[in-house]
Amino acid sequence: MAQPIVTTTGATPPGAKAAFPPFASETFASQLLWFALAFGLLYWLMSRIALPRIGTIIEERSNRIAADLDDAQRLKDESDAAATAYEKSLAEAHDKAKAIAQETRDALGAESNAKRNALEAQLADKIAASEAAISARTAEAMASVRGIAAEAATAIVERLTGRAPERAAVEAALDRARAS
Amino acid sequence: MASPIDPIHQFELKNLFSFGRIGNSEIAFTNASLFMFSAVGIIALLTLLATRDRAVVPGRMQSLVEMSYEFVASTVRGSAGQEGMRFFPFVFSLFMFILVLNLFGMIPGAFTVTSHIIVTFALAALVILTVLIYGFWKHGLHFLKLFVPSGVPIYILPLVTMIEVISFISRPISLSVRLFANMLAGHITLKVFAGFIGMLATGLGAFGWIVGILPLGMTVALTALELLVAVLQAYVFTILTCIYLNDALHPGH
Amino acid sequence: MSSEFVAGVIAGGGLGWLFDRLLGTSPGGLIVFLLLGFAAGTFNVVRAAGATGKTGSKPYRS
Repeated sequence: MAQPIVTTTGATPPGAKAAFPPFASETFASQLLWFALAFGLLYWLMSRIALPRIGTIIEERSNRIAADLDDAQRLKDESDAAATAYEKSLAEAHDKAKAIAQETRDALGAESNAKRNALEAQLADKIAASEAAISARTAEAMASVRGIAAEAATAIVERLTGRAPERAAVEAALDRARAS
Repeated sequence: MASPIDPIHQFELKNLFSFGRIGNSEIAFTNASLFMFSAVGIIALLTLLATRDRAVVPGRMQSLVEMSYEFVASTVRGSAGQEGMRFFPFVFSLFMFILVLNLFGMIPGAFTVTSHIIVTFALAALVILTVLIYGFWKHGLHFLKLFVPSGVPIYILPLVTMIEVISFISRPISLSVRLFANMLAGHITLKVFAGFIGMLATGLGAFGWIVGILPLGMTVALTALELLVAVLQAYVFTILTCIYLNDALHPGH
Repeated sequence: MSSEFVAGVIAGGGLGWLFDRLLGTSPGGLIVFLLLGFAAGTFNVVRAAGATGKTGSKPYRS
C-alpha cells in the first residue's frame, strides 16, 4: 500500500515550494526507512525479550497465587477437621460424664432406698410389737375393768340392800350392761 | 524560533545527519527519526528495566508495565479472541509506539512523529498487510468471503461486493488519517491559542496581559484534552487493528 | 467518524483514477468509483456507528 503513494508523489520536484511539512513527499523515503528500522527494532525487542518475560512473570504470579490459595484451602480443611474432631471428643466426654453421673446417682439412690426399706421394716416391726403390747394391755385392762365393776356393783348393792348380791347375778347384770 | 506564532513550524523535519540521496529523496536522520528511536528506547527501557527483578510482588514501574500488558492483551482477546493472541507482540508494539510518540508530542518543544501522514500510513499499512497476508495464508481464497456478505440478494451482490472492497481499501486510509489528523489538528490548535497569548501580550501591552488569560485558559484546557486524545487515539488505533485482525482470523462472518 | 467517510471517498476516487489510467476510460471510472466510494464511506460510517454491528463497533472519535 505504501508503494504507490511514494512513487506517485515522489515525482514532484524537491524545493518547488515550501510544502506543508507532513505532506513533503521528498522526506517520505527517509521517514519510512527510519520508521521501519525503529519499529522493527521495537517489535524484535518486544516479541523476543520483553513480552515473554512479562508473560512469564504474570503466569508465575498467578501460579503462585493459585498454589497459595490451594495451601490456604488445605490448611483450612485441616483446621476444620481438627475442630470437628475436637467437638466430637468434647461431646463424647460430655456424654461419658453424664453417664457416670447418672450411674452414681442411680447407685446412691438404690443404696439409700435399701437403707430406707430396712429402716421402714424395722420400724414396722417395732410398731407391730408395740401394737401387740398395747392390745394385750387393753385386753388385760378390760378384764380388770370387769372385776372392778363387779366389785363396785357388789359394794353398791350391799350398801343399798344391806346384803351382798350373789356372784352369778352380778355377772349376769354385767353381761346385760355390756350387751346394751 | 524564526516565527513563534507559525503553527506549521513545529512539524518541520530537521536533518541531523545526512546519508546522501536516493533519487529525489534525501536519506537523512531527522528529528523525527530521533524521536522514533527515543520512543523505542523508552519502551525498551521501561519494559526491560522494570521487569529486571521478575518480582512476584511488583514495584511501581513493573505494575505499570504489567498493566499495559494486561490492557493490550484483554483488548486483543476481546476483539480478536484467543487466536488473536498470536498477533499480541505486534499489537502491543503498535500501541506502545503510538502512545509514546503521541505523549512525546505533548512535551513542549518536542516533535510529534504521529503528525506525519507517512508514519501513520506506514503503521496502518503494516496492519492491513498483516491482515491480507495472514488472511490469504491461513484461509487461501476463502479469505475473499470477507468481501461477499451473506444474505444479500444476488442481483445487488456485485455492487455490495464492490463497496465492501472499497470499504476495505479505505481502512488503512481512515486508520492513518484519523491518527494523523487528530494529532495535527490538536497541535495546530494548541499552537494557535498559545500564540494568541504572546500576540496579545506584545500587541496590547498591559491590557493584553489581562485579556491574554482567556487564551491561556484555553491552552490549559486544550492541553488536557490533547493528552486525552493522545491516549485515546493510540487506543482507537489498537482496537481497530484488533478488529481488522479478527477479519483475518475469521473472514466468513 | 468523518475520517471513515472521507477514507471511503478517497479510496473510491483513487481506485477510479487508477482504473482510468490503466484502461483509458477517463472520466467514467472516476465517476463510478467515486459514487461507490461514497457508498462505501456511508457504509463505514454506519458500521462505525454500530448500526450493523458487523465488526463489533467500539465508540471512537472523528
